[in-house]
Amino acid sequence: MKPAVFLILPLIMLSSACDTINQLFLKSAINSLHTSLSANIWQVLKFVLRLLKYPRVWFGFIFSLVSLCLWLYVLSQADLNLAFSLDSMHYIFIALSSKAFLREKVGIKRVSGTILIIIGITLVSLS
Amino acid sequence: MFKKKLTLKILLFLAATDILETLTQLCFKKSVFSAIGLDSPGLAGLGAVLKTAFSSPLLWCGFAAVAVTFIIWSTVLSKIDLSVAVPVASFSYILVPLASIIFLREKISILRWAGICFIIAGVIFVSLSSRERVKTE
Repeated sequence: MKPAVFLILPLIMLSSACDTINQLFLKSAINSLHTSLSANIWQVLKFVLRLLKYPRVWFGFIFSLVSLCLWLYVLSQADLNLAFSLDSMHYIFIALSSKAFLREKVGIKRVSGTILIIIGITLVSLS
Repeated sequence: MFKKKLTLKILLFLAATDILETLTQLCFKKSVFSAIGLDSPGLAGLGAVLKTAFSSPLLWCGFAAVAVTFIIWSTVLSKIDLSVAVPVASFSYILVPLASIIFLREKISILRWAGICFIIAGVIFVSLSSRERVKTE
């Protein structure tokens, strides 16, 4: 038995929002490190260790964990494809919040590309 | 400042996180398969589902994949914008249905394939936008 979309949708939205917060924390920590990485594996590990010293990264992990718990519950109730499809609102959250909080330049091309992806995901969820 | 352009190398890294994410999702879904039998849609079912899922070794494989994904993902984010990385990572929408066909035997319709084409077009647009930005700066 598959539960109705109206039950799954708010849970996925909440999960998406938590993940967006996690991504914002992580990206802002990475931005403040100002590192240019090479392909050296030790340098990458050192970078990750430095990154883990930021409390906001751990804040992000908490949100990520909440997101994961919600996501696991959703997966136990819905089809993997359907769950992934509804997760597309994640892209709206990410685009808006990176413009607002990270001051990334979200131009016409990026917006239209993101919209195309959302249309694609909606099509996937309709089927 | 560092480069923000989406290069082929970064795209390959993103593909690697996608594959790992697909693996993670499969581990998670398989680990909660046993929990489906509980089938209580309310929040009361949440605890029972999680308890069953966490006792499965597959879930812990999923967590290991998450750790590796974190390392690669933060490396990628040090190179490109978040609003580029996240849409481009939607390549997993192509990998997950394919994995679903093979491992979980779920069916994919023509409409779903059309959606996948839209996603590919969108990913191309977004990656072009990251190139445009470098030019203007």
